[in-house]
Amino acid sequence: MPAGSFGSTGTTTQTLNATISPVGRLVLPSSTTLTAVGTTFQPFTGAMAVSYEVRTTSVGGGSITLEVTSDFTPAGGPSASGGVLTYTCGAAGLGTACSSTQTASTTVQTPVLTVPASACTGGGGACSGQDPNTITLNFTLTDQPAYATGTYTAQVTFVISAT
Amino acid sequence: MTRFATNLALALTLSIFTGVLSAQSTTTLSVTVGPEASLTVTTGTTTLSTTATNFSLPYTGTTSLTYKIRTTKVGGTGTITLKVTSDFAGTGGPSVTTPPTSGDALTYTNTVSTPGTATTGTLTASTASATNVGSFGAAANSSSGTGSVAWSLTDDPMYATGTYSATVTFTISAT
Repeated sequence: MPAGSFGSTGTTTQTLNATISPVGRLVLPSSTTLTAVGTTFQPFTGAMAVSYEVRTTSVGGGSITLEVTSDFTPAGGPSASGGVLTYTCGAAGLGTACSSTQTASTTVQTPVLTVPASACTGGGGACSGQDPNTITLNFTLTDQPAYATGTYTAQVTFVISAT
Repeated sequence: MTRFATNLALALTLSIFTGVLSAQSTTTLSVTVGPEASLTVTTGTTTLSTTATNFSLPYTGTTSLTYKIRTTKVGGTGTITLKVTSDFAGTGGPSVTTPPTSGDALTYTNTVSTPGTATTGTLTASTASATNVGSFGAAANSSSGTGSVAWSLTDDPMYATGTYSATVTFTISAT
């Protein structure tokens, strides 16, 4: 401060508001191929690793579900609407995986995992140690002789929600 | 010139979002369905017997089978065949390979349910090569097909008395 000048100090405050929202994000492989193994007319199987990040509030929770949003095409092959596509869930990096064999549906979402309140991905401590979290789904498709030969594809949509 | 030293007192306010946030992502499941076939012989052991006591009738018996099949939509085919993979054991009895009398034979006739077609006529079983039971065309699909093989074995006086066993292997294929 220059000599002879009067000093002056001003104080002001500023408030920063941060809204920490529940949030979820999914990363899926672009495709998963189901293949036949073993003897004839045994099911087609395939594993799909699903990566996710999620944060839930202290009073909320979350979930991941899936639904077959476009059944196998072209016609003449398997149809998920007939209940022939099932899956089991491997261990979840965060949350609780589905515990029994689930039948994928073209009309309703079926469970993959549930996330408890106050859950968060990554960073350790109160959150999970991994980022992203992963869960592996093992799909099984019945191999029926009635299927016409060919290659069939279906679209599966996963939904992650958090509160 | 007046200079102000500004002290910022920061107050961080956290608020909890109470709504539901969701996101979705879509992936593709792909499966290639190829031609396949399987066959089960439902008659564990087929006993050949005769009601005659004067060599006038052959030993006969029937083997039943079930099958599943899927052949390629265009250009696919399928077959069921059989082969005597182990000839009648024991000395002096019947033999597919070296019968004691020329003309002795193990022959058979078939039935095969749709979409299969049974091979017609009386066929002679062989230890050297597979012989036909039935066939399938393109786009043949069945999860509950059935078939049968009606056997006939010459009753040759030259056979020594006794019990003789042979093994027959059935094969189903699909393309």
